[in-house]
Amino acid sequence: MNNNNNNREQQHKQNKDSTIRILDSRFNQTLRNVQGLLKGRSIPGKISSSQRLDLPDNSNLCPPTYKRSLSYNDAGTSYHTSEIGKEEVHSKSKPFGSPDENKQKISASAVENSSELVWKSSIGGRATDSIRVMKFTKVLSGTMVILEKLRELAWSGVPDYMRPTVWRLLLGYAPPNSDRREGVLRRKRLEYLECVSQCYDIPDTERSDDEINMLHQIAVDCPRTVPDVPFFQQQQIQKSLERILYTWAIRHPASGYVQGINDLVTPFLVVFLSEHLEGSIDHWSMSDLSSDKISNIEADCYWCLSKLLDGMQDHYTFSQPGIQRLVFKLKEVVRRIDEPVSSHVQQQGLEFLQFAFRWFNCLLIREIPFNLVTRLWDTYLAEVDALPDFLVYIFASFLLTWSNMILKLDFQELVMFLQHLPTQNWTEQELEMVLSRAFMWHSMFNSSPNHLST
Amino acid sequence: MGSGDQKIDYVFKVVLIGDSAVGKSQILARFARNEFSLDSKSTIGVEFQTRTLVIDHKSVKAQIWDTAGQERYRAVTSAYYRGAVGAMLVYDITKRQTFEHIPRWLEELRNHADKNIVIILIGNKSDLEDQRDVPTDDAKEFAETEGLFFLETSALVATNVDTAFTTVLTEIYNIVNKKNLAADESQGNGNPASLSGKKIVIPGPAQEIPKKNTCC
Repeated sequence: MNNNNNNREQQHKQNKDSTIRILDSRFNQTLRNVQGLLKGRSIPGKISSSQRLDLPDNSNLCPPTYKRSLSYNDAGTSYHTSEIGKEEVHSKSKPFGSPDENKQKISASAVENSSELVWKSSIGGRATDSIRVMKFTKVLSGTMVILEKLRELAWSGVPDYMRPTVWRLLLGYAPPNSDRREGVLRRKRLEYLECVSQCYDIPDTERSDDEINMLHQIAVDCPRTVPDVPFFQQQQIQKSLERILYTWAIRHPASGYVQGINDLVTPFLVVFLSEHLEGSIDHWSMSDLSSDKISNIEADCYWCLSKLLDGMQDHYTFSQPGIQRLVFKLKEVVRRIDEPVSSHVQQQGLEFLQFAFRWFNCLLIREIPFNLVTRLWDTYLAEVDALPDFLVYIFASFLLTWSNMILKLDFQELVMFLQHLPTQNWTEQELEMVLSRAFMWHSMFNSSPNHLST
Repeated sequence: MGSGDQKIDYVFKVVLIGDSAVGKSQILARFARNEFSLDSKSTIGVEFQTRTLVIDHKSVKAQIWDTAGQERYRAVTSAYYRGAVGAMLVYDITKRQTFEHIPRWLEELRNHADKNIVIILIGNKSDLEDQRDVPTDDAKEFAETEGLFFLETSALVATNVDTAFTTVLTEIYNIVNKKNLAADESQGNGNPASLSGKKIVIPGPAQEIPKKNTCC
């Protein structure tokens, strides 16, 4: 046992060293941003109006459309200021806490030496960073968008007003070639309309029993989709959701509709609606939109959902083998990263399936505040080619955010705790800590798969 | 984070099953936390709550697993039937179909759960009398034929929810506590008498009665 521990420590050291080496630009960027925010001289992303008055007038530095996005973010303002530097952010004494310390050193000096970074964080992190915006603009303005570059940028968060364009590209829904883009989107949107008229806009007498059941299941779930965001209670948005889900289900008969896929449409809806609706989501009204616009938005959601789930088909087929496989892998990764947590969980008889199933099924939407979901999805979509694999590391990092807590809980407390994780007050900082750690572990373990083979 | 100082005499695992949106999670929220939420989400996979009751001067902890209603999840959820000593089979009195699916759920239980499991049929949403689609007598008759307990409940207005759980838990308690069984048999309510003398499976390591916290 002792030997084991020594080995582990050595391993940690080695890992630490190699970690420093593998930090690539993307990682550095994330770290700088996260740590810049953590330095505490900043007010993170969402700033309520009273606090915004205290800031130097940066608004003229922002692209004009960004104001809209800022106010969208206001949806969840009230808690955003008090959390800076909160202990949890640093995940306390992680077994891999040491790389974290390194990160801090790197970033501390970076921030201290750079007034620009200070400014950046003071108006809300990378998404508003004018340099980043310029980089995005440059990548997006080419006749041929270089997806690799876009992915790299998007990984650390996309400015709100660019998100619709970026997501369409990342998912391969919009072609990188700008000459073809409009045409392709037009055709795809028409195609969606046709699907809807063929499979949704028909009388029940033309549906099979299974189809009727599926439609019924979807109809039952639409009103229960993100019920804590009042916008989703509007009847028209629920109808849109129903059309998208039913059309998707009919066109993907191997899985059909599975509860939880309704959650997966919501980030797309919010992002594609943000192109057409001004202000905060609290003030959005579907009735401000023409039916043409609504159907285009639905089409974009439909196609993006399809693209997203293309790589995860067996997550939703019978007995959901894809999810079972990833849950198993998660357990393995956690065991390699944090032995004490892993054995405690095992001793208590807690199965990973008992808490992680929903994480994979709903891609963490249920576990974090809704206003952070799009930021999380920036990273997902940047990794979309190998997302299932990467999810394992994100979820390991997410779980181990509470490693100290977990060690103190018995079986029942664990189940309860993990079902209702205390993320209500999370801001982008906490989320980005999870992501950057996931990135680190992913690089570390994926480049040396032997780590995982016992 | 100690699990309190109260001594737990028994831990009983109970599963909540039935079609989507019949109110399983709400029944559980009402029982475990006395809450009802108008904006609840669908259950994905399984969720979990506990509540400790006193039955016959013993403290009994009910460990209740709430399951997703959609058929697709059965493969995942049926794994949780193992070790369950009680089941609440829920339908919605305003949706005939959810009652018609009850035999299928019963079949599920009989295939995957311990055969001595105590089952109660629950017609939920009894506050929506004007939308009733399942006459009480239909359900009562069905329950009698199948040897199930039966109650109509309303999670919204908190009618019969506690009673439903106490009914199941008391029955389990009586069966486990063989001594009491003979005396209480009159309340058996048509539940198969063959239960007596049979060993009730008390769930595995995870569900073990917690050891007392005498750490220092």
